[in-house]
Amino acid sequence: MRSPAGARYNPARVFEGGDVSLDLAKVLNQVDQLGAETAQRQLERAAALPKAQAALHQASALDPSEIRQRIERAGDRWRGASPGSEAWQISLPPPALPARWRAIGADGSQVYPDRHAAAQFCLVNVGSLCLSHGSGEAPLASSQPRLLFRQDELTTSQGEAIDTSLVNGTRDVAEMAELADLAERSSGEPSLTLLDNGLLLWLALQEFEHHSPDVDLLLKRYLGEMDRLRRAQAALAGFIDRPRGTNLLRLVELCMLPLQQVNPETSRQRLYSNLVDRDLLEGLLPPGQRSAVFRVVSPLNAAFEARGHGIHFFYLNTGYDGQIARVEIPAWVAEDPDSLGRVHAGILKECLVTGIPYVLVRAHELAVVTQHDRGALEALIAGALLRQGIAPRISQKSATKRWTAARRRHRL
Amino acid sequence: MTETRAVIGRVTRCSIRGFVGGIRLRQPDLPVFGGWCQAPAQGGETSVLGLIYDISIEDDELARQLAAADAPLPEQQADSQLNRPIPIELRALTVGYRRGDAWVHALPPQPPVTLAEITCLASAEIRAFTQRLDFLPLALSTPEVPADQVVSAALRQAAAARPAEERRAFLVQAGQECARLLGQDLGRLERMLRDLQAGGVA
Repeated sequence: MRSPAGARYNPARVFEGGDVSLDLAKVLNQVDQLGAETAQRQLERAAALPKAQAALHQASALDPSEIRQRIERAGDRWRGASPGSEAWQISLPPPALPARWRAIGADGSQVYPDRHAAAQFCLVNVGSLCLSHGSGEAPLASSQPRLLFRQDELTTSQGEAIDTSLVNGTRDVAEMAELADLAERSSGEPSLTLLDNGLLLWLALQEFEHHSPDVDLLLKRYLGEMDRLRRAQAALAGFIDRPRGTNLLRLVELCMLPLQQVNPETSRQRLYSNLVDRDLLEGLLPPGQRSAVFRVVSPLNAAFEARGHGIHFFYLNTGYDGQIARVEIPAWVAEDPDSLGRVHAGILKECLVTGIPYVLVRAHELAVVTQHDRGALEALIAGALLRQGIAPRISQKSATKRWTAARRRHRL
Repeated sequence: MTETRAVIGRVTRCSIRGFVGGIRLRQPDLPVFGGWCQAPAQGGETSVLGLIYDISIEDDELARQLAAADAPLPEQQADSQLNRPIPIELRALTVGYRRGDAWVHALPPQPPVTLAEITCLASAEIRAFTQRLDFLPLALSTPEVPADQVVSAALRQAAAARPAEERRAFLVQAGQECARLLGQDLGRLERMLRDLQAGGVA
């Protein structure tokens, strides 16, 4: 039977497949407002950009000792960037790559614990691709799933159930460990090891000041894996597509304050809050070229620096559709011209076809756990429970969600 | 010849006469034309047996991106060809079914259901089903599929599933059965016999 609403204009019908749950007619007005708001923000950014670029030019002319002084006056909680030895505005072309080198990418996905499931577990799956450039051979593809189900794996040191952020942290450590494993096996050939996010452990970034023993443990393991990568002489980098970072802009803003007025309070004031670093550099970096290298200034990075892994970054025009990416590297890569050049030129080579490094595209493909995969895993777990004489039962809430989630579509 | 029950597809649409399945497979794991496969039906009570008569590689965004590139790296090409699971669609012609231990050379009571797993037949199962060649009339009379070629390929595989000393005799017997069925169409029979000869009949 046709529903009464079916006779009216239904925007859902514009999509192939027809039926959607969301009442798109009710959201149309808000969508129009969103479009207008986006256009307005774009105008504001366009107006602010020349001023910010002029400020960048002005700030880059400051004496390095004065910049250091400003950063010190800004205090421990200021989150900006500290310039290195390279002039701020320089854009550098890539160096040549060796005839044979190896690109290694790792990415992870996860299934979070679900208290409504038949059994308590979570899953971390890490995909990786190790591609030997110049070999002509098929790369080594791998997928490493790890099921966490023991009591100590599913609870924190305080005895509480682990949350999604701890699962994410576990996944991040596993990604870094996979890179370290592959880099150790690749010794003899220069290697570039890549993650598709920043290198400052996200979980620690969120929880650093709470000093949770579980977060501290994950951070320790994460830094330990970075130690292994350094020993393997692998060039480690985190690739961030469409970055939202503002470390460089904050440094520019800090430099625009009168020196005597710089303090922890004034350093938090934003002059260009509608811009991100990427906007600032879009017109300044020609395709294939990178910006100067800066050091991340943040309390968490101090912990990384204490282990010799202080995180630095540069921006890179990948040459793919004008894309400006942020590339994060540890100190031992930033300070070694050979490794830094391999990161720069290697990422460009990897981005040629896919816009982001090919090894990361494939690592993601190998890591992703689809709904179908999850269903198959749950079926396996149900079988294991049955063999133990346990009837697998999901919660009533979960059961009712399944009733309504998979709506049948009858096409006449 | 596949000896293990690797899943080579999941049924996406079907009828009594055949079924279609999709899946992602690496190139080395792709099924072959004329391959013997099965899919469960009637709640697992029966297994519908099919001969693969078409394998198509479906659209894939990353492959399209690589194809459109000026010069994809040889390592990336090798990755796509050997490592990446390719989205494929296979079509199978129904030639019989199994109920318990009994093999039936006729169309099944019901087709497999959506998402039923399609697996290859083991050599022993191919030998068992082809002890009799009663499926040939059904297969050879199927319109709109390359019936003669798929039957020839399937018979060659059935021969390969037998001990070396039995293969020739099996193919001779199959050729005789084809001659009986296609006696009214000598051109078609000749082409089939040539196809079977490629499988070892002198």
